[in-house]
Amino acid sequence: MTGITVHTIRNAVEIANTRMATLEEELNRADSQLGDGDTGVMLSRVLGKFSETDISTSPDVGGALQMLARAAAATTGSSLGTLFMTALLAIGKKTKGMASVPWSDLSDLLQAALEAMIQRGGASLGDKTVLDAIHAVAMATQGVDDQAHIATKASHAADQALISFQGKPCKIGRARMFADKSIGIDDPGMLGFVRLVNALAAGR
Amino acid sequence: MKKIMNSASTYVDDVLAGLVLAHPRLALGGSANRVVHRAGGARKGKVGITSGGGSGHLPLFTGYVGQGMLDSCSIGNVFEGPNVESCIDAIKIADGGAGVLRLYGNYGGDRMNFDMAGEFLEGEIETTTVLGTDDVASASPDEGKKRRGVAGIIYAYKIAGAKAEEGADLSAVTATAAKAVAATKTIGLALSPCQVPGSAKPTFEIAADEFELGMGIHGEPGLWRSKLKPADEIVDDMLSRLLEERPAGHGGRVSVLVNSLGATPLEELLIMYRRVAAKLRETGIDIVQPLVGHYATSMEMAGASISLCFLDEELEHLLSAPSGSPFWEVK
Repeated sequence: MTGITVHTIRNAVEIANTRMATLEEELNRADSQLGDGDTGVMLSRVLGKFSETDISTSPDVGGALQMLARAAAATTGSSLGTLFMTALLAIGKKTKGMASVPWSDLSDLLQAALEAMIQRGGASLGDKTVLDAIHAVAMATQGVDDQAHIATKASHAADQALISFQGKPCKIGRARMFADKSIGIDDPGMLGFVRLVNALAAGR
Repeated sequence: MKKIMNSASTYVDDVLAGLVLAHPRLALGGSANRVVHRAGGARKGKVGITSGGGSGHLPLFTGYVGQGMLDSCSIGNVFEGPNVESCIDAIKIADGGAGVLRLYGNYGGDRMNFDMAGEFLEGEIETTTVLGTDDVASASPDEGKKRRGVAGIIYAYKIAGAKAEEGADLSAVTATAAKAVAATKTIGLALSPCQVPGSAKPTFEIAADEFELGMGIHGEPGLWRSKLKPADEIVDDMLSRLLEERPAGHGGRVSVLVNSLGATPLEELLIMYRRVAAKLRETGIDIVQPLVGHYATSMEMAGASISLCFLDEELEHLLSAPSGSPFWEVK
């Protein structure tokens, strides 16, 4: 069974980048509820840069992810963008030298990314951020080793995380200052992650 | 909202191009031209000081690059921190071989990016960090480390810059910067919002006859909102909050900064300063080197902030040392 390769990552980038054509506006709208309304623009810029980055020269998955992390480092200074980069570096470190990564490793890799993002950003699980959705996907895909099942479970878990956090207040970042107002609306970072997971699951 | 610009996407780069043309002592560098630095480059053997932050606050941050102040400054898009690559570039450019102090405002994104930049350069350049935390409205005194950095950070730029210029080592410059941050307290008020280029709406909403005390420079919520009051009443409230945090044993000399957040004119700042000076005199405090004008803005936001830098002998000496940044010059 084929695992995750540089080619898989390249395809994922293209799917995500294509999805941004319609997602950008939705994320900007979500962010403008309590933030400055630029999450969609930022993510679009980063994924556009990923799309322009030739990762095919990397012999292994780790190298390709590090190339993408460097592209992000040059493209955005936003907190979400930097956390994204942190996740790529963390997974890149774990997959260095691996031409193919078994799908069964995905859950552990997401967990490693999660830990690095928590350490870097200072948020905790339950704060209503992108971390909660990543955690849900990592849990749901634990012990699953084929791509099709991972896609189904990841997509479902991401949707459920979004729904379950909608009614909760935001506890970190600028939105925490408007905790009451944050109840009933989506965290833009979490929303972006969920929509992209859905797109990747559908387009695999 | 009407703005004089070519496009939202070129806004920051067009501003930076104009900045270095208008002030030839500054130059643009870094792989994406998002670092403003002293045109002569780093001085060998001197501790470098770098800062950074989002655009939209000029003269903060890039306007304080110059002799006796910052050596370099990385700059992000409007209200968005500088990216990691620019932070790395800024640290490298500031390095004269004696290490680099990273001195910037306490915002999550900036912290993450400067931390990552420092990690990338581990073993190559020694770095330390001091965060600006002068905004008293952003957290209580017992949570002082959570406070945001606003206009008062310029005192830390000036004081740490003078210390580095004297030839102090990295640890001494860092300690002096931390001392300047601890000695400086700021509170702001907002009358009307600004609008980020390309954004469909202003950063916040406020009624035409209201003001908000303690609002941050990106529209972060403040302490309370009410109908507009006479200037003296507003200043008295702001000043009493700052004086509550006067350090124990303070000797009685302060520098005062009355700063426009953008649209508020000098006339109104002087109305505020008149009251600040009178009240401090009543309290037995002498003012040293008052600053009144546009020092840290939020684009066209209307409002103002008052900062007090509670001086001791060392801080006053460093504050009066010569400096040559475009927006704060001491001769």
